[in-house]
Amino acid sequence: MTNLVYLVPLFPLIGFLINGIFWKKMPKSAGGIIGSLAVLASFCVSLGIFFEVKSLPEGTVLPPVELFSFIQSGSLNIPFSFQVDALSSLFLLIITGVGFLIHVYSTSYMHEDEGMVKYFAYLNLFVFSMLLLVLGSNYLIMFIGWEGVGLCSYLLIGFWFKNRDYTNAAKKAFVMNRIGDLGFLVGMLLVLLNFGTLSYQEFFNALPTTQVAGSTYNWIALCFFIGAMGKSAQIPLYTWLPDAMAGPTPVSALIHAATMVTAGIYMIARSNALYNLAPAILDFIAIIGLATALLAATIAIKQYDIKKVLAYSTVSQLGFMFLAIGVGAYTTAVFHVMTHAFFKALLFLGSGSVIHAMGGEQDIRKMGGLGKHMAITQGTFLIGCLAIAGIPGFAGFFSKDEILAAVYGHSPVLFALALAGALMTAFYMFRLYFLTFRGKFRGTHEQEHHLHESPAAITIPLVVLALLSIAGGYVGLPAVISEHHTLATYLSPVVSNIGAHHLSHETEWMLMGISVSLVLVMIAVAYNVTKKASFAPNTGIAKVLENKWYIDELYDAVIVRPMAALSRFSDKFVERAGIDGLVNGVGKTVRWGGDRLRLMQSGQVGFYIFVMVLGMVALFAFSFILTN
Amino acid sequence: MKAIIAATIIGVVLMFTGILVKEKKGIATLAAILFFLLLGVNIWELSTLDANQPQAFFNNMLRIDRYSVWFNTLMTACTVLYVMLSGREIQKVGIHVSDYFALMSFMLVGLYMLSGYSNMLVLFLGIEIISIPQYILAGSDKKNLKSSEASLKYFLMGAFTTGILLMGITLLYGASGTFDIARFTFLQADSLNPMALCGIIFLIIAFAFKVSAAPMHMWTPDVYDGSPTPFTAFMSTVVKAAAFIAFIKLFHISFNSLSGHWTMIIAVITAATLLVGNVTAVFQQSVKRMMAYSSIAQAGFMLFAVLSISATSWQGLIIYAVSYTVATMGVFAVLMKLKDFTYDGFNGLAKREPLLAFVMTIFLLSLAGIPLTGGFMAKYFMLTAAVEQGQVLWLVIFALLMAAISVYYYFRVIIAMYFKQGSPEMSSPVTAGDRLVLVATAALVILLGVAPGLLLKFI
Repeated sequence: MTNLVYLVPLFPLIGFLINGIFWKKMPKSAGGIIGSLAVLASFCVSLGIFFEVKSLPEGTVLPPVELFSFIQSGSLNIPFSFQVDALSSLFLLIITGVGFLIHVYSTSYMHEDEGMVKYFAYLNLFVFSMLLLVLGSNYLIMFIGWEGVGLCSYLLIGFWFKNRDYTNAAKKAFVMNRIGDLGFLVGMLLVLLNFGTLSYQEFFNALPTTQVAGSTYNWIALCFFIGAMGKSAQIPLYTWLPDAMAGPTPVSALIHAATMVTAGIYMIARSNALYNLAPAILDFIAIIGLATALLAATIAIKQYDIKKVLAYSTVSQLGFMFLAIGVGAYTTAVFHVMTHAFFKALLFLGSGSVIHAMGGEQDIRKMGGLGKHMAITQGTFLIGCLAIAGIPGFAGFFSKDEILAAVYGHSPVLFALALAGALMTAFYMFRLYFLTFRGKFRGTHEQEHHLHESPAAITIPLVVLALLSIAGGYVGLPAVISEHHTLATYLSPVVSNIGAHHLSHETEWMLMGISVSLVLVMIAVAYNVTKKASFAPNTGIAKVLENKWYIDELYDAVIVRPMAALSRFSDKFVERAGIDGLVNGVGKTVRWGGDRLRLMQSGQVGFYIFVMVLGMVALFAFSFILTN
Repeated sequence: MKAIIAATIIGVVLMFTGILVKEKKGIATLAAILFFLLLGVNIWELSTLDANQPQAFFNNMLRIDRYSVWFNTLMTACTVLYVMLSGREIQKVGIHVSDYFALMSFMLVGLYMLSGYSNMLVLFLGIEIISIPQYILAGSDKKNLKSSEASLKYFLMGAFTTGILLMGITLLYGASGTFDIARFTFLQADSLNPMALCGIIFLIIAFAFKVSAAPMHMWTPDVYDGSPTPFTAFMSTVVKAAAFIAFIKLFHISFNSLSGHWTMIIAVITAATLLVGNVTAVFQQSVKRMMAYSSIAQAGFMLFAVLSISATSWQGLIIYAVSYTVATMGVFAVLMKLKDFTYDGFNGLAKREPLLAFVMTIFLLSLAGIPLTGGFMAKYFMLTAAVEQGQVLWLVIFALLMAAISVYYYFRVIIAMYFKQGSPEMSSPVTAGDRLVLVATAALVILLGVAPGLLLKFI
């Protein structure tokens, strides 16, 4: 089965080609069916691969599956090859599984849209690129996928390109990602320079034996992390993700919650051998992750757009994942990636169902009491909220508890801050839930008249994801319940979990008790706050939070405006006067020279032979000088 | 050897067909069939030749190895392609159609000798066998004054160069007492014999004339412009490749150990050739004349093969010769369909004949060396060889700049075809057969750009 791994990205690529080439002529439903089937086929192959990898004897690492020789130049040899192992096979399942559900959801959600076939083409291209990203057996293939998902993200955020704000959001996402990509690229070049290879296996094997300056590890690790900051929306490069909600809601669910934004986690988890040698960078990652988690959570508290709340919640959860990585708990981070993919995709799709019912309205101040009209959406959304808040029994509890435990083992102070973040999460999620589904309807009469439960193509993915949001956590039971952590065992050949501190059972029970009881308190608080919600204009700190700490304005003043001024200066003085003048000058000189040389061609044989003789004399003279 | 015999017989047969068959079309068809057979003979010779065992003939005056036979095969294939592309235009030149084909066949004999010689006399013979038919073909449009002028100019200057070539051979003989290129005794001496050095320089000059390198290039624009267009296409491609293989053979095999004495001379010639060819081409108004300068510029690139002694340059020569030949023949085939050879004559071709404009674009892109075309791989191999050699990095940079200039005059044609208004007049209708051959040629150009390794399989 692992030899057939090329099929996994091949199916979405074929889907993309069919939909992309014929998008103008094809009926809408055909585009949806082709797109969904392509991902379903990939999912089936991925399942086969997953079980094969699972059945391997412990400690086996499969060699990369080489498709063809990609770049060969001098001593540099970069094959186009895929790495099939525990980590990549797990990501394959998440990407194709959640991806398939979202494709199915989209067939209904996007049905009214003219560009539906084009939408599926982009979506397939995204899945293809994402699969390339996780399957590559060297950093270059990863980088190709990395850039590919960035492109698809750009295309899909700006999918409704007639709206100026949306295209600006797309541009912002692209530029922010490019900043990170530069870091990734520099990191790659550093690896190439110091180790002469980009292949994971060769690089990791060479790490302990190669003689390089100690700071080299730090520089490479930092550069990779800068790449991850861009893609996974960490401080200071996180501002694009909330704006990315301009895209269609299923896109937000797939790209901007479940898969693409976790690419940074994947990259660092993949490179864990490197990061273990760069403890300073790990500390830095922990700080950035925690800061992001807290900042985004505070902003989420005061947002009124249903998707914005979820977007900031995503940023915050990504922060938690990086926090886990920062304390060395790579497996835990991957675990949270998985559970987060389930419940966050569920929440986004649920919000899409709400927006669908509300006729495009996203402001939660105009909602309320929707639960009466859409029971399935409400029920599944509630499961999502319980999961993200970390109520025992739901998936989010297990992964989040594991993160908190790992952080506690590292430093109790970090634990306290992380716990504060988790509590805020519980608060804003239930604030969102109560404002949307409970209480009285606050929208117009017309909207109320139209309220309805969504069709099966939307509700079935919701139900499946809800089930996963419950069951997904049981692959990683906490140590107090079971000594056997299924996921950690599965990932152990690829990912070393240096951060797993063995806390005593008492401590662990205590931590769990503290966090769960406080979360329950926060839910109650949220219930009370929303009950008498007045929506008066915010003042003071609340206003700062509503305006996202004015970070966008800050960036605009400190970076964007000076850059624009600089580029105007370059355009006027450097480009037009300097470079254009130089280039045109060269062109003019060549034309002038051509005009002169042309006149040499007089048409007279005598003159031609004269020139030949002159040339001969000159060559003899030259050779004479050369020999002496 | 089999190919030389076959080509001679074909030449004689074609000469006599002119007496028996009066119908031009019949002669052209027969010629096409015979050239095709000649290609078959070449392939037969290739398949029977042992890869490590060169065959010697005439007391070791001719030594045929794998490389030379493969080169012959490719050039014969190019000739077949040429006859298919320009067969009808050749019929229009004059009444002695069978003679034209017979002369070409003899020129192929010259080419086979130049790729396999191991004796200076055979070299001389080959060069003359390939040159004299050219003088005749250049003047074959007898009623056209320009054609006669081209022929006479070419002959006068060619005669002058023959003198120089003979002088060079004589000096080498004087220095070593042998004509055998493998047994020049001065190569073993501790210090260089001045007589031999003079001989080498004379040979460089003679070869520079044959490949139209500066400053011996002056005949090229006048002759190429004045000659009937189909013959210009043949002279500027297959014949030039023949001169190059003779050049590289002598200098790499015999004068390898003296490279310190001649590398810089050829480097200077290369620089001058690139400069003159590219810069002068910028100002031309006629596409046919521009192609003459372009052939000078391309010769500048091919000189890199002589300049850098390595296996890469031998491979590069084959790739360059074939991709340049195919693209140039394509350009001339399209050119011949038009009445007006100036740039303005191409205005609006894309509207009137979209396919013609499209294949023309591919040929021009290849000549300019844009990736995915054969021309790119050809330039890549040449420059790689030069970089590997490492002495003439400045020349590589200079060549790249000159290649950038060449984009200007090649793209002017594309701009005229696609972005200018006009209704170009055609000299003859474009038949379905023409389209088929042109598309196949364009596909070949792309294939060479994607898989140049195909050309190196049989060396």
